[in-house]
Amino acid sequence: MTSVIEGFAFIGKRIPRKDAELKVTGKAQFTSDIWLPGMLYGRILKSPYAHAIIRRIDTSEAERLGAVVITWKDVPNKLYNPRLVSIEEDTFKDWQILTNHPRFVGEPIAAVAASSEEAAQRALEALRIEVEKVYKPILDPFESMMPGAPKIHEKILRGNTEIIVENNVGATLEYSEGDVDKAFREADVVIERRFKTNRRYHFTLEPRGAVCRPDPDGGITVWSTTQTIHNTKILISQLFDIPQSKVRVVKTYLGGGFGSSIHVNHVTLIAVALCLKARRPVKLILTREEDMMHDHVSYQMYFRIKAGTKRDGTLIAGEFENIMDIGAHQIQAYPLLGTALGWFVSLYKWRNIRYVGKAVYTNKVPACAFRGYGNPQVTWAVETVIDELAEELGMDPVEFRLKNYKGKGEIFWGQGPTVRSVIRSDGVPELMDVGRKWIGWERRNKLPKTGRFRRGIGVARGFHTSGAGGPISGSTIDYSGAVIKVNEDGTIDYITALQDHGGGTLDAHVKIIAEELQVPPKKINVVPVDTSFTPYDVCTHASRGVYVGGEAARRAAQEIKRKIKELAMRYFEQEYKERPVNFEAIRIKYDPKVNDAVIYVEGTNMRITLSELAKLAWQKNWGTLIASVTYRSTVAPPSFTVYFVEVEVDTETGIVRPVRVFAGADMGTVINPDLAAGQIHGGFMMGWSWTILEDTVYDPETGELLNKGLVIDYKIPTAQDTPKLKDFYVYFAHTYEPTGPYGAKGIGEAAANPVPAAIANAIANALGIRFYELPIAPERILEALKKKEKG
Amino acid sequence: MTNVNIKPSIINYFNTRIIPIDFEYFEPKTLNEALELLSKFGKEAKILAGGTDLLVQMKIRRKTPKYVINIKKIPELAFIRMSSDAIHIGAATKLRMLEKSEYIRKYYQALYEAIRSMASVQIRNMATIGGNLCNASPAADTAPPLMIYEAKLKLISKKGERVVPITEFFKGPGITVCEPDELLLEIIIPKPPTERFGSKFIKIARTSMDLAKVNVAVALKVDSDMKSIEDVKIALGSVAPTPIRAYSAEEFLKGKEFNEENIRKAAEIASAETKPITDVRSTAWYRKEVAKVIVRDALTEAYRRATR
Repeated sequence: MTSVIEGFAFIGKRIPRKDAELKVTGKAQFTSDIWLPGMLYGRILKSPYAHAIIRRIDTSEAERLGAVVITWKDVPNKLYNPRLVSIEEDTFKDWQILTNHPRFVGEPIAAVAASSEEAAQRALEALRIEVEKVYKPILDPFESMMPGAPKIHEKILRGNTEIIVENNVGATLEYSEGDVDKAFREADVVIERRFKTNRRYHFTLEPRGAVCRPDPDGGITVWSTTQTIHNTKILISQLFDIPQSKVRVVKTYLGGGFGSSIHVNHVTLIAVALCLKARRPVKLILTREEDMMHDHVSYQMYFRIKAGTKRDGTLIAGEFENIMDIGAHQIQAYPLLGTALGWFVSLYKWRNIRYVGKAVYTNKVPACAFRGYGNPQVTWAVETVIDELAEELGMDPVEFRLKNYKGKGEIFWGQGPTVRSVIRSDGVPELMDVGRKWIGWERRNKLPKTGRFRRGIGVARGFHTSGAGGPISGSTIDYSGAVIKVNEDGTIDYITALQDHGGGTLDAHVKIIAEELQVPPKKINVVPVDTSFTPYDVCTHASRGVYVGGEAARRAAQEIKRKIKELAMRYFEQEYKERPVNFEAIRIKYDPKVNDAVIYVEGTNMRITLSELAKLAWQKNWGTLIASVTYRSTVAPPSFTVYFVEVEVDTETGIVRPVRVFAGADMGTVINPDLAAGQIHGGFMMGWSWTILEDTVYDPETGELLNKGLVIDYKIPTAQDTPKLKDFYVYFAHTYEPTGPYGAKGIGEAAANPVPAAIANAIANALGIRFYELPIAPERILEALKKKEKG
Repeated sequence: MTNVNIKPSIINYFNTRIIPIDFEYFEPKTLNEALELLSKFGKEAKILAGGTDLLVQMKIRRKTPKYVINIKKIPELAFIRMSSDAIHIGAATKLRMLEKSEYIRKYYQALYEAIRSMASVQIRNMATIGGNLCNASPAADTAPPLMIYEAKLKLISKKGERVVPITEFFKGPGITVCEPDELLLEIIIPKPPTERFGSKFIKIARTSMDLAKVNVAVALKVDSDMKSIEDVKIALGSVAPTPIRAYSAEEFLKGKEFNEENIRKAAEIASAETKPITDVRSTAWYRKEVAKVIVRDALTEAYRRATR
């Protein structure tokens, strides 16, 4: 691993994580650790059918057992969308908290609360449902769009406007630029391919859950697995008609999100409904099986990509068709249609573009964002086509990419058509150069291509945005806020609603504040917060935690710094009356001898430590040092990543092994090198798993997930499956993003986005076979090899 | 839109966290106490040895015993004892203890390799060898190695003891010859030859912590010419309702020279002896194809070990 940071006191330095001790000793409180006096335990009655109408539920036996029971009749009858990241008029609403018209196996119908989880489960099993009608489930999006297919939804809302759903298509988006047909006619090489991606479960360490407490003032306090406490507050308020000031959503430690808690988790709303009915605290934590079977999954996408180039390797046309299987409800289908296009157009200079995107309902678990938000899927398809074009042209795939990618100075709109800006930092040439040398790119066609064990090297390049900000307001909400307060002993309280999924985002914030104020990170306290005293933050998603949230923190710290200097000025003027001080000459610098920030005037003996100054301000009634900031970024710059992967394929078992991996990342200034590298290691392994391992398969008759949510039947790799550390090279480009805090950009999603493409290209290099369907499982590889042998 | 007849999901009765069923729990301190309880409760009782399978099955309602008898507190059920011609392992011996035994690592390499391939250290610290066998999963990793070493299982009840060869122990998925009042007491594994002998276990799975798509164990004794095969045992798991021996492949190889062609042929025969199914872990076709490969690989490695 390389580190590129010089001249900073804290940024780029290796400092133990602030929450490390709490986490390794089990003291950190996650949602499922919350216990309240008088608390009841909730369980959800899930639909046993993929598509049905329930006539009635007999709750008498469950109630006789002492349980509190709610059905669709006990919850507000409002259609909603659990995700509030898009502006209202672009939000498609088709959800109910509980429903008598379940549209996938597992959709919540009713819920119970009782004195223990066991008692709640027994009460749940005592509920009797009477079914009016059962429909044959539609599991395939193409079948779903056929005329005459059963309608999954009749009417839904866009904002507050009713719309009729036609052919089970929930949302569409079309776009074109230039003259595509003419460009294809003029192209020397044209390639057209179809792709099918897999439907993957997020597999966070923590399953979704919530604890709710009714408050004496008529309000409610909520602890929940969420990437956004404020949007949780707003949705609860909107659905249950409680003023936002009386909904307190508490930020707890989160055991991973990966996009599965950008939207308010369904379980949270059911817990609120139970709590309001029971008028007692309620805890409702999904089991692993529930979490997998009916809570969340990635979007499954079907692509058709057609690309054309001139003989000299200049791309001139790109056509992109994107059919998305969104499951039974919309979470962010419509924005994803735009973002998928954004990934496509921002990867390469296509020059002429045509796009059709459709989000199609099926009777399956509703899909939601999953690390990369469609980007790994799009990048896999595009980088496969790019590789094939290079082969066809006889060009080096690295050179072909360098010639056509969108880099510095180009217009970039990764998060969709309303989020355009100019690329200001770009480490791609450096990453390509270092990567190809380290992996030995020129060896790729000399590696063994016959015999049992064959080797190949693949390259792929990608990016992710840092946040979803933009120069105009657009259809996406993206702003953050921070409050910083200096205590009377010089320690600092940092107040932010921004959630840390577990990756260490808030540790980066602490370092940014530490750098700005020259205060050691140990003196900065990340305050446990709730929504009542934090400025709004939209959500920790879109790799914006450090780039947007960190900049909000830096700006708040910058304001505190100015105020510190003002107080110091006041002190210097009183203490050194005979010597007038020039405000601009006041400096703050970390002094390791006193382990504190020192405020001083250069070339004089005027100095005071921050803790001395803080105490003085208190004693002299000068007031509190506090600053609050709300911040929106006007750009969402790309973090570029480049992977070179060498694989070995056992052609007799179809098993693929990662041999060596070059993981190059341009994330601007690296605030936390170890945690950034951790994101990259994790990103690679997650991408590896997506590529060769994971899929959720449904029973075609019943529409039920075949693995029944059991972890023994849905595998992800363990540490033992990772490449050796010496064979995994994390390299950070020497870039600086002028719009980011201390030059930083995001990394969480960029770390994973090009991984499936790089692995797929390596497998193609090893076997001479391309795969257009994920996962590239051993069974598929072996079948393809046998087919090829037969000719 | 017609009303169709679809079997409802068991989704509301299925999880791995909550045990909503009532059962009575016993913790006998002696073998006699345990046998007494078993004879009293019979079919309605389940033995808890490590719990890594039983508790999950209770939570997902595959098993709903009225009585759970924990045998972990009975000291005479957890041991590794060497005699002149065999190793004796108590049924409630933890997998981790076996894995750490130098003796097993040296003389029963395939068994050692099988145990190492199972789950995680944490699970191996809980799970027992007897539990793995009595759970009777077709994919049980300890079964194929015990089959190639021709292990015998000693079963005990109040009525007395009996010894069953492991090849006769399994009757189907989750079913063994063990009567409801019987307890697996110990596993007796004859000592393999110390010379011109090699064994090997191979497992194909999705990740390093997974149940087998296919597993195989091979034991091979070469003649004094170091070329021809004097004796060979091949056992496979996860390719039939129970772990199986590939007797035809064994017969084919006996007395033959160890060479690529014979090994390839034997692997084909072994694969033909399997009856795999398609499930969420893999396909029947893949299992048959890969069985050939790992039988060949295991034979090759066992031969290398026998002749080194």
